Amino acid sequence: MECNGCEFRAELYYDRECQIWVRREGDGTLTVGMTDISQSIAGKILHVRVRRPGTRRPVGKPVATIESGKWAGPVPNVFDCVIELANEDVLEDPNLLNIEPYEAWIARVRPVASVDVALEKLSTGDAAFELYRQRCLRDDIHCERGMR
Amino acid sequence: MSDHYLEDQGEKSVVIVMTSGPSTAHRCATPFYLGALLSSMDAEVKIFCTMEAVRLMQTGVAENLSAMAGGKRIIDFIRDAKNAGVEIHVCRPALPGYEIEADNLIEEVDAVASAGDLADLILSVDRLLFF
Repeated sequence: MECNGCEFRAELYYDRECQIWVRREGDGTLTVGMTDISQSIAGKILHVRVRRPGTRRPVGKPVATIESGKWAGPVPNVFDCVIELANEDVLEDPNLLNIEPYEAWIARVRPVASVDVALEKLSTGDAAFELYRQRCLRDDIHCERGMR
Repeated sequence: MSDHYLEDQGEKSVVIVMTSGPSTAHRCATPFYLGALLSSMDAEVKIFCTMEAVRLMQTGVAENLSAMAGGKRIIDFIRDAKNAGVEIHVCRPALPGYEIEADNLIEEVDAVASAGDLADLILSVDRLLFF
């Protein structure tokens, strides 16, 4: 599925602005990454810094920060969680976020409440695609993937 | 070089005093970029626009200004900073010098403040930067 060339994956969970995607893991953790929309807005990503594993991040406190040549800002966080792991491949080569945003995850986190409670704040499937489509159209976002 | 991991440094407060304006457009993006970054690192960031920087807050100016030819507009850097949690304050005493009315400022402005407000911030903040 896509809108304006921005890829959408229906099996993932998304925040209201579709800045991040979240994937449920089998061990009670959640994986967090940037959407195709976010990587396109940022442009070529130069640096990613993740909160050190073990750090608790309440709602609203970013999981990571992103820097590109023209954009700096947070990887937002919509549920109370503890950082478990960062993707070392992305830390070493942040451009992966531009090339394959749905494979190049940023961090794995463990919700303080249950996974189900954390996911209640996110949307998935058709409902998420409608949010995604609206964001693309409202802000006239057209996605481009990075290249090596 | 920065580490890949962010340490918890508490919630520091930072004030960026912005004086650059349209006559030096190449100086107008970085303060908002840095403000967005600091805010996303848990700092409480206020950007205080005074002197020529008040012109960036006048409706229609930042919308038509870029730091480099063909580059991202300053208004978009301002919006990125706001989205990251930065507060923007405008110096009231600087407005008349540029013939700007307080009701003709962009909606991203959080407060129109006095020089005394800036003085209070300077004396109370953890980190102070001037651009």
